[in-house]
Amino acid sequence: MGAALFLALASAAVLVVIPLAVLIKTSWVEGRDRLADVVGSPAFRSAVVHSLELSAAATLLAVPVGVAIALALRDRQLPGRAFWRAAVLLPLLVPDFVLGYSWLRAYARAGLTSELFGLAWMQIQGPVGVSVIVAVNTVPLVYLIIAVGLATRAEPTTERAARASGAGPATVLRTITLPLLAPAIATAAVLVFVLSMGAFAVPQLVGAPAGFGTITTRIYADLALGSDPQGFVEAITLALLLVVVTLIIVTPAEALLGGRLQLGRMAARDTDWPSSSRTTRVIVTIAMALYLMITSGLPLLALLSASVTRAIGVPSTPDNWTLDNFLAVLTPRTGQALSRSVLLALAAASILLMLGTIAAALGRTRGGRSVSILITLTLVLPGSTLAIGLLIGYGRWLADTVVIILLAYLAKLWALAHRPISAAVDRLPSAGLHAARVSGAGLPTALVTVVVPLLRPALLAAWGVCFLTALHEVTMSSLLYGPGSETLAVVVLNSADLGGVGVTAALSVLITAVVVLPATALWALGRTGVRRPSAFSPGAWSA
Amino acid sequence: MVRGRRGIIGFAALLQLLFLTACGGSSASPAQSITLYTCVNDTTIQPVLTQYQATHPGAKVELFRAPTGQLNARVASDIRAGGLKADVIWGCDPLTMQDYVGQGLVGGWTPASEIPATVRTPDYVGVAMLYLVAITREGVEAPASWPDLASAGKVAVPDPNLAASALGALGFFGTKFYANLKDHGAVQVGTPDDVTTGVAQGTYDAGITIANSAYAAQEKGSPIAVSWPKPGAVAIYGPVAISKTTKNAEAAQDFISYVTSREGQTVIGRAGSYPTLPDAAGPEKPNGAPIVYPDWNALTSQKAALLEDYAKIFGS
Repeated sequence: MGAALFLALASAAVLVVIPLAVLIKTSWVEGRDRLADVVGSPAFRSAVVHSLELSAAATLLAVPVGVAIALALRDRQLPGRAFWRAAVLLPLLVPDFVLGYSWLRAYARAGLTSELFGLAWMQIQGPVGVSVIVAVNTVPLVYLIIAVGLATRAEPTTERAARASGAGPATVLRTITLPLLAPAIATAAVLVFVLSMGAFAVPQLVGAPAGFGTITTRIYADLALGSDPQGFVEAITLALLLVVVTLIIVTPAEALLGGRLQLGRMAARDTDWPSSSRTTRVIVTIAMALYLMITSGLPLLALLSASVTRAIGVPSTPDNWTLDNFLAVLTPRTGQALSRSVLLALAAASILLMLGTIAAALGRTRGGRSVSILITLTLVLPGSTLAIGLLIGYGRWLADTVVIILLAYLAKLWALAHRPISAAVDRLPSAGLHAARVSGAGLPTALVTVVVPLLRPALLAAWGVCFLTALHEVTMSSLLYGPGSETLAVVVLNSADLGGVGVTAALSVLITAVVVLPATALWALGRTGVRRPSAFSPGAWSA
Repeated sequence: MVRGRRGIIGFAALLQLLFLTACGGSSASPAQSITLYTCVNDTTIQPVLTQYQATHPGAKVELFRAPTGQLNARVASDIRAGGLKADVIWGCDPLTMQDYVGQGLVGGWTPASEIPATVRTPDYVGVAMLYLVAITREGVEAPASWPDLASAGKVAVPDPNLAASALGALGFFGTKFYANLKDHGAVQVGTPDDVTTGVAQGTYDAGITIANSAYAAQEKGSPIAVSWPKPGAVAIYGPVAISKTTKNAEAAQDFISYVTSREGQTVIGRAGSYPTLPDAAGPEKPNGAPIVYPDWNALTSQKAALLEDYAKIFGS
């Protein structure tokens, strides 16, 4: 494990410690006089309260929903199961900055539902709307982690035994399934909480009209008027305080979690889950259809209609349809940027898979835990601030290159790759790994031959999430790019800023199209996995 | 352990490869190449650069464009990592530029030009104008004067914490104007573009936004009307300035001279921005449209106090 630990710590130093140290230094050297003012101001207190409210609400909403969906979708006899499993992931395809718009377009005053049924959701612009949208968009992650957890942790034989002995489904759920899933649920909850603390685009667009400002929206405002050093330093200080607040909440949760993970059970080998009744299946199908229609169907439809409509505010009828928005996205410049974005996302996702696996392999050792905490810091750090840390730290040598963008993606998404893998990894037969090493296999060989096959669903999930997120990342790239390293989202947003909704919608549709290809490939890969006698197929990402 | 080390070497090699490919793309710049930092969007900046490079053989402009917030962050990061990388900065409002001047980053030279003294200082010259106007959704009566806006239904205003144009308006109108709007049910959204989108879509009935954004939406067919209420649309100029540490002073001055020249101003006008040269043709503007100019000098010192008062109205 020495080499793995060295690699993990070296990467964490480059990706997390140095950028953070740079930020802390800037904040301390230039802003320590004003620290008390910043922390003591009523505006800061209200921002902290709002951020905590948002994150708590989003976690309480997203986790039960994600768990319920994962449990519902493990029933192999559920009609259209493969479709539901892919459809649940839809929100991952849409960049954050378009999600808020798509919800407003779908449900706010004069939105889609108001045109179709005369119904508008007036509370959408405010804390309730922000929490719901942020929650809905983290549900796919919860689902993935729980599904991976089900694949690697749950024990169908025990469940069937319980059912055979007369326990009802609710009892089985309460006494067997959920306790076994506890680590996965806790992992998912921590991740949703952290992501919600760092969420920016949705609070900015949907929360601002109701005066619901969070720490992240304050950071953005400080940077916008940050041409004087004071605003810039305050933005950095706020970002660091956001990290501290998140740590205060998350670290105890992680410590509690650590103890529970020491269960040493054998991996499940049985894919034959107890089937649910016909009635349950009908109810589940209807509920899934409704949920997906509300959370993905209508917002995506609103986005699609915006992308083909010639102007905002005109009815989306065939007379008003146009391809102009797509033509604006598909220029030679965007072609280059698109291929660059795809390559960057591929590189980032692949390296992240390695980094995530290494961090997970370190497991609960002290080194492993340090790495796990370190990489959570950059996940919660707002993209703009992380980019500033990288620029100050490495800008002298790397400014304007794709390398600095790649470093930003790796730093931001490492935890996102690590968590799903680590949620699955502690069920690994460590004996197998040990045996391989003792028999002379090097760490890479041991990982590839012993660990990878067992972890395939988790690895697929981690890779997919990282690839998608990197593909439409804009906050960091727009700060770090230079001539010759523009990413797709940067080029499109520079042409229109965020106001060009039609063009931005077309970008999302295009990105969705770009993603459907590799996703289909992954799906096919997952399907071949099902037929193997593996423990993991029931919860595989897209099997 | 030996095998493990091989893995690390492989990783290092991969990183090295990435470095090499990345550097290959951005090195070897010609002597007359300058770097331009701007918040002006591609619609305007690309035609200007194309035209400049076509008429000035050998000149090359490397562009970094980002919204004002990101631009500020980039400049601030540059300073802390070896110095400003831009030779020229083309900003979107005088306040930001004045801050850069105050930090000794830019200024000290402006070209001779016909651009009026109202939009220039010894350190920078205004090359493009933004006008804050009122927009109303189809069926809503357009306000004849700014105070009428309060009774135009659900009104959206841009956030002066995010957009310097909105800050200029706050400086001109004063906080009472906003308090009255708020009493009539107005809400604050993000940028002027968010206002345009919201009104066009029907989320709001009326709002304050920038003329380019409003006319662009109207031209595409969005059901909105643009009005220039009395005493006038609020004018915000976007200034251009030379870096104090530029190593390509000659090329940088050449570019600034171009964008302030009649030829450059005409290109800016054709590209969809309002030129600052009074008789250069620009985008749509009603005949005799009233225009007012905020006192930027006063605003620089009042900014913090104004925003604090404003926060009590639309606070978050």
